Amino acid sequence: MRRERSDRAPVGGRAPRPNRTRILLTTEGTYPYAMGGVTSWCDLLVRRLVDFDWQVLPVIAAHGRPPLYDLPDHARELTPIELWSEHLPHGGPLGAAERRAGVELPAMLVRGLIAWDGDAGALLEALLWCRRHPAGVRRTFRSRHAWRRFRAALEEVLDERVSQAGTPPRVDLVEASLLYQSLYWVARTAAVETPETDVLLVTAAGWAAVPALVHKALHDTPMILTEHGVYVREAYLAGTRTGNSPGARFIATRLARGLACAAYAAADVVSPVTAANALWEQGLGVHPDKIHVVHNGLPAPLEATPPPGTRTVVSVGRIDPLKDVHTMLHAAREALRHVPDATFLHFGPVTAGEESYGRSCRALHEQLGLGERFRFMGRTTESMSVVRAADVVLMTSISEALPMSILEAMGAGRPVVSTGVGGVRDVVKGCGVIAPPGDAHALAMGVVTLLRRPDLAGALGRRGHRRLARIYNDVACVSGYRELIRAAAVGRRPIPRSAVADRIAA
Amino acid sequence: MSRAELSSLQARRIVEARLGREPQDMLEVAVALEAWAGVHAGEALERGRELMATAPTAPRSSAGRLPGTTAQRGVAVEALSFVIAVVAIACWAAPLSDRLGPRAVEQALILALPTTLTLQWGLASRYLSRPEGLAHLGRRPLLLVLGAAALVAVPAAALGRAGALAGLLTLTWTGGTIVIRRHWALAYAAMVLVASAAMVAGLPATNVLSLTAALTTLGVAVALKARIAPTGHPPGRWGRAAVAAAIGAGVGILLVVDRSVDWSLGSIPAIALIPSSLASFWGGHHLWKFQEAIPQALSGVAVSDRSARGLHRRPLRVLAGAVTRVVGLTTALSVLLVVGADELGMHTTGRTVLVGFGLVALATLFAGLLESVGRGRWAIVALAAGVAGEVLAQQLTEVSSVAGGGLILGASITVLLAMPVAVAMLCRPATTLATALGIR
Repeated sequence: MRRERSDRAPVGGRAPRPNRTRILLTTEGTYPYAMGGVTSWCDLLVRRLVDFDWQVLPVIAAHGRPPLYDLPDHARELTPIELWSEHLPHGGPLGAAERRAGVELPAMLVRGLIAWDGDAGALLEALLWCRRHPAGVRRTFRSRHAWRRFRAALEEVLDERVSQAGTPPRVDLVEASLLYQSLYWVARTAAVETPETDVLLVTAAGWAAVPALVHKALHDTPMILTEHGVYVREAYLAGTRTGNSPGARFIATRLARGLACAAYAAADVVSPVTAANALWEQGLGVHPDKIHVVHNGLPAPLEATPPPGTRTVVSVGRIDPLKDVHTMLHAAREALRHVPDATFLHFGPVTAGEESYGRSCRALHEQLGLGERFRFMGRTTESMSVVRAADVVLMTSISEALPMSILEAMGAGRPVVSTGVGGVRDVVKGCGVIAPPGDAHALAMGVVTLLRRPDLAGALGRRGHRRLARIYNDVACVSGYRELIRAAAVGRRPIPRSAVADRIAA
Repeated sequence: MSRAELSSLQARRIVEARLGREPQDMLEVAVALEAWAGVHAGEALERGRELMATAPTAPRSSAGRLPGTTAQRGVAVEALSFVIAVVAIACWAAPLSDRLGPRAVEQALILALPTTLTLQWGLASRYLSRPEGLAHLGRRPLLLVLGAAALVAVPAAALGRAGALAGLLTLTWTGGTIVIRRHWALAYAAMVLVASAAMVAGLPATNVLSLTAALTTLGVAVALKARIAPTGHPPGRWGRAAVAAAIGAGVGILLVVDRSVDWSLGSIPAIALIPSSLASFWGGHHLWKFQEAIPQALSGVAVSDRSARGLHRRPLRVLAGAVTRVVGLTTALSVLLVVGADELGMHTTGRTVLVGFGLVALATLFAGLLESVGRGRWAIVALAAGVAGEVLAQQLTEVSSVAGGGLILGASITVLLAMPVAVAMLCRPATTLATALGIR
């Protein structure tokens, strides 16, 4: 049954015990409410790091659905922060001075989050005001004066001329009001009370960071920010494929950038899963000393089995523009010209909201005449076994961090043909074929080569298997985070170098 | 791919070809180069800085839009069913008066009308106006059963037969709202018609009403059972539902406070409600368009454009259209009713009552508008002032001597207080969209 409490009362699980390190894990639209890579990673950490007491604070869009995961005894879920819900925070009326200060709140948020060189100090001050006056947030945002000041501040931001930032579009009043509402929800998220904790573990440099960075500002609690993808990059990629107006795109990307920059500034440690993402983080202003890479990992693989020799090419992933299924279909057509008896099997559902892209993939499949040689197999919960049934594993994404499907292929001893995006190049070093994103010909030639040369495919698969066991295993992943959290909790800051699995040199 | 392998011109062409436009900023350049040209992240970011370091371009104009509001389905069927139900229910007054006495029927109606309106407004705010509202409502079956029982038992214990009658009427009307929301309006209307025919034919009216209330309750149970499923939309806020319920109560009290409107005179007062009820239904349906009219008026108007004029015209036109519909249809149907009543030689409580009901319809329209933009408290204030005026009017012989005089005064006060606030909100469409429509 849906919970309707607006405080941070625990939903379930045991309260933190004394003398144990408490972690506040903040998530955004993932654990424990949705399936996916970040969720699996969260679940792995929460279950395996039993020496800590976990408090999970999800930030989700209001949907009323129950969580998908039961938490273990040493973890408890706090009442989720539901964005765009109708629930109101508790609190008393504002005094005259507080009302006057509050009127500036939306303007401060727009300057802090949307401006190219936002004022981080003023932003934090605004978010702290929200935490101190949770009931005042709604009153403030419903005030005409606050809207007027917001408009003036937005005009200032739109008048900025910074060469890197391009020329902002003429945002219209509808887009401005949508931004106003988004900032209201940033303020509401900041207003949420957080429980006592020893370490803040934030799983995305976006909305999930908001309660944490306020908590840090109040209590000086160490904050670790983990990134699986790069929040800003994903927001920009989403912006390129939606048919949004220039103003809507500007607002969405600037807000994502503003939230990410605030999270980066507050974090003591930024921990991407791959060194490739660290380059983005540095590009967005994170000091290299703060960045510590901890790779994702899979359980120790079983003995590598020989490929089936059926000329089967398997891909696992959602049907989503980020996975560039169109290129996959083109690559399959070209590969089938050279190896007509090959079979391509794609496992994965259409991403919610990308149904039109799913239809376009079906249409292209039809248009290319791939028939039974390329089959969409739908969702699978047995990704390891479907990968084992492959001779080659194919991935055509245009954006990835450290994809699980490639790790699973390596775990099964299968060679990989993939686009060289994100951390893929680092992972598939010497155990597969890398091609530029969108290059169907190169991908097809990689597939053809490996299908025609089973000896080479076998050798690459075995190398991948060994590489996974050596570097990308769950023990290393979990112990990497354990050390990171312990160092943060004990020494608070800085995190000693020995605590990290990898480090990006300056 | 490295930066050296890609000239600036090539990079720009790749980015513009992939985006179909000029890039927004350096990060968009970097994202496009990394995703579609395989350029390493660090180099893509550097190339982004280079490519954007040219002369600034003119700002692009932009026209935002809001997600479309959900269309109201089956409005015509609902309207028709509503008319049939009101006419049929109006036919119940005479048989019920014959059976229970006019005093009991009047007491019952005076209690049942405000109670029903309170429940209808409250339920609509929390459940019935929500995409998955019926499913949420159906998740509390025990509470619903107890509530239904209490609706009959409590007034029956307090007022005896009149209370029981009020409870049964409330149950039938409120349940009817839920059944109609389930798009079973025709079935509900048919049931009410059959009940009316049975009463007119001489079957015991109280038994028929009890059976109708029981069948409606059963219909509600089936309607809610059929919709229980995992939902993606939460119900509305209790606080907001309470405000809506208070507005409903205010409208109901406004209708029954005036003692010069005699609800015991057969079917006349109930039939007199038809013109204003229908007009209110039509006007309210039209007013729904203001949610689209406001963003349409603002789309493409730059934030910096302080000289933009006439942004309020479109939303105000919608409001004017709604008011015209309420006034026009009430007037037309009232004239028809009066002429028809004269032709049939029927006794009426006074033609001025029709004016009063028309004004109540107008007050309801403004109250509904204020509630929908989250300013329900203003509506409550206006209704409270209207009720107070109506009560005071009972003391004034000049007013109370006119049938429905108090009603006219009370409803006029409500309209006069609510209308300026509603108009002011629509005159500031950008402020209303940002602060009221967007932040509930």
